Amino acid sequence: MKKIMAYMLTPVLAFGVLSACGPQDSSGSGSNTGKAEKKPDKLVVWEDTDKGVGLEPAAKSFEKKYGIKIQFKEMPMLDQQDKLRLDGPTHKGADIITTPHDRIGPLATEGLIEPLNISSEITSQYTDSSISALTFKGKLYGLPKSTETPVFIYNKKYMKEAPATLDDLYKFSKGDKGGAQYGFLANWTDFYFAHGILSGYGGYVFKDNNGTLDTKDLGLTNKGSLEGADYISKWYKEGLFPKGIIGKKAGQTIDGLFNEKKVASVMNGPWSFQGYKDAGIDIGVAPMPKLPNGEYVKTFIGVKGWNVSAYSEHKKWAQKFVEWITNEENAKIRYEKTQEIPPIKALMKDPIIADNEAAKAVAVQSERGVPMPNVPEMAEVWVPVGNALQLTATGKQDSKKALEDASKTIEQNIKAKHTGK
Amino acid sequence: MEALANQSNHRKTSALLSIIPGIGQVYNKQRIKGALFLILAASYFVVFGNLLNMGLWGFFTLGTELPRDHSIILLVQGVIAFIVIGFGIAFYVFNIYDAFQNGKKRDQGFAVTTIKEQYQNVIDKGFPYLLVGPGFFILIFVVVFPILFMVFLAFTNYDLYHSPPAKLVDWVGVQNFSDMFTMDIWRNTFVSVFAWTIIWTFTATTLQVAVGIFLAVVINQKDLKFKGIIRTLLILPWAVPAFVSILVFSGMFNDSFGAINNDILAAFGIDPIPWLTDPQWTKVAIIFIQTWLGFPFIMAMTTGVLQSIPEELYEAATVDGATVWDKFRSITLPMILAATAPIIITQYTFNFNNFNVIYLFNEGGPAVAGQSAGGTDILISWIYNLTMTSAQYSKAAAVTVLLSVVIVTVALINFKRTKAFKDEGMM
Repeated sequence: MKKIMAYMLTPVLAFGVLSACGPQDSSGSGSNTGKAEKKPDKLVVWEDTDKGVGLEPAAKSFEKKYGIKIQFKEMPMLDQQDKLRLDGPTHKGADIITTPHDRIGPLATEGLIEPLNISSEITSQYTDSSISALTFKGKLYGLPKSTETPVFIYNKKYMKEAPATLDDLYKFSKGDKGGAQYGFLANWTDFYFAHGILSGYGGYVFKDNNGTLDTKDLGLTNKGSLEGADYISKWYKEGLFPKGIIGKKAGQTIDGLFNEKKVASVMNGPWSFQGYKDAGIDIGVAPMPKLPNGEYVKTFIGVKGWNVSAYSEHKKWAQKFVEWITNEENAKIRYEKTQEIPPIKALMKDPIIADNEAAKAVAVQSERGVPMPNVPEMAEVWVPVGNALQLTATGKQDSKKALEDASKTIEQNIKAKHTGK
Repeated sequence: MEALANQSNHRKTSALLSIIPGIGQVYNKQRIKGALFLILAASYFVVFGNLLNMGLWGFFTLGTELPRDHSIILLVQGVIAFIVIGFGIAFYVFNIYDAFQNGKKRDQGFAVTTIKEQYQNVIDKGFPYLLVGPGFFILIFVVVFPILFMVFLAFTNYDLYHSPPAKLVDWVGVQNFSDMFTMDIWRNTFVSVFAWTIIWTFTATTLQVAVGIFLAVVINQKDLKFKGIIRTLLILPWAVPAFVSILVFSGMFNDSFGAINNDILAAFGIDPIPWLTDPQWTKVAIIFIQTWLGFPFIMAMTTGVLQSIPEELYEAATVDGATVWDKFRSITLPMILAATAPIIITQYTFNFNNFNVIYLFNEGGPAVAGQSAGGTDILISWIYNLTMTSAQYSKAAAVTVLLSVVIVTVALINFKRTKAFKDEGMM
């Protein structure tokens, strides 16, 4: 009996402690908002892997000017989100992180990054699309450091110059291909690359209402999207694209074939240039050829930006550094070191970019593209649309049925995962 | 009290006194021990008081005020608090039990042990426990803690929209589990993924076991020459890391460029098969790959068992006029199964969660119309997608709990069965 009593007593004791509990100090929180921030000794910056060389000069000049040390650490861009999630609450995280813009929505929703307060004088230096890419729900969450988008890359051995239209390219692929096995390859069952086609015909993912994306209005089943999907499957059905470049491994396969010099031209992003050059290919780069309907291929633009951590204790200074590193002078230095193109209007016309074939192609194509949607709902789009494109490309379903199914899946998934009470 | 009325009822008195740890021991004239217990108990509350306070508060509320409270950290503290309370209760119970036992000794007229004797006792008899103790202590934090955390997570609404520091996480009870069975999108995917997981587990494992046993028996034939070389060749698939093999296979199975379609099937005049784009063929391909990867292990194990089957059994069977098939069915197979059953069962549970083959071959693809998981996604790769692409942490935790329930049940039933099997006296 007594033992039982004793057993029961312990929890009672514990809960007795519990009843008078919780954190008593409610004064400590939020004390540093509003007040002028003290100048910190240092700011911690997380930079993408191997890109520190572009950051160093700006860090030095910032240190000289303001006397704040910049401590930077390189880590893969996509790991920074997880790292911030874990390190932030313990105040070991960075003050400034770098991230691709399509993560802005999820990061802001989680409250991991801080909206910035930046004058229009500064923001007007950058291309409009890059600023809108970094804006989520009407708030600017970062400044752009570089922009990238898929372009047309060709092997100069097989192709003298880039064709003006996809029709020309189609004829080239049907013909002798300059000696190559394939005239043109693109990973068009991956929505990232396929979007340019669908959108060029008039399709869209989420309706853009003056900068706010309406995630209830899907444009993947409209006339343009269907036409685009049909155009894509034409390349597969006529055997111009081999059946094996479908699905998750398609990108690797295309790279492999291009590196083996079996392909005359491909559609790929600036990140692939170095690999192709390393494979000993004399590459030419151009904006994407025009679609048969005379429109430009509206590729997805990705913008990498600098963001301020919500956990930072020196947000004002962190923002100052973000402005510093993205200004024209530092962006130019960074471009020279890393070859990543900064979306600064003035630099786009600077000979440093205008005279570089590859950089110019990316810059021109960037102006024609659309920023990837940065809302968290976008996570539900990639797989179903990719699946639909696979199903049409392999001829298992017609584009209407496939894309309607995909839209339904996306809508259901958004409802299931993003109702966000 | 009745305990005091009875002069020789020390056991009850000391146990009762031990409600405050150590007092019972002091009553039993084990003063040093009692003092130690009292100090231990007091320091427990001094050291862990804050953790218990914050932990329990945090566990039940998951935070009340932003940005001060971080729900997930509070949940972690809560789980740790529970573990600490567990230790506390264990110590408390031991304290009462100890007082009771020593009181009993006094009641029976024995002298209670002195602290020196007890120390000797612990060193002599409890030495293994002393050695294991620290490891066991760490084990609780390394093994039990993450599991508890995951299980609790399944009862919260932790996802992108209920995620600190922007929002607090709340307890939602069995919502995640009921969604899995009531909401269309979750149920459809869950049911089809689950069904394929089961089929995959049984087909792939049964095939690899069957092939392994078959080859072992064939190689074990007495008249076979070059046994060593054949055996070595057949062990090779095991020697190459699965990670590498799967990626190589993924290239070989490529619909247009792969060696399987272009060279092997073409040599027989068979049309190319859509290995990576048709769900049915992809399933066939990964089952084949898993069989290839898995059979050498079973074969090696079975070979060992075969050596130990007494030759007389076969001789007797031959005298009785048994055919080769009879011998295999009535002697060889039961012997093999009896000896290797536990390992074969682990093969089943391993394949149930065989993330490598599924993910490395085709990342769970190809596409299936009207479903969010891929055609070959099994539960574990689906969970991976849920957490990595959609930040559905609580849903993923719920699926993990369901998955664990299946595995644990199957494993338990099977282990019991095999034990019964063994008890029948096969060997």
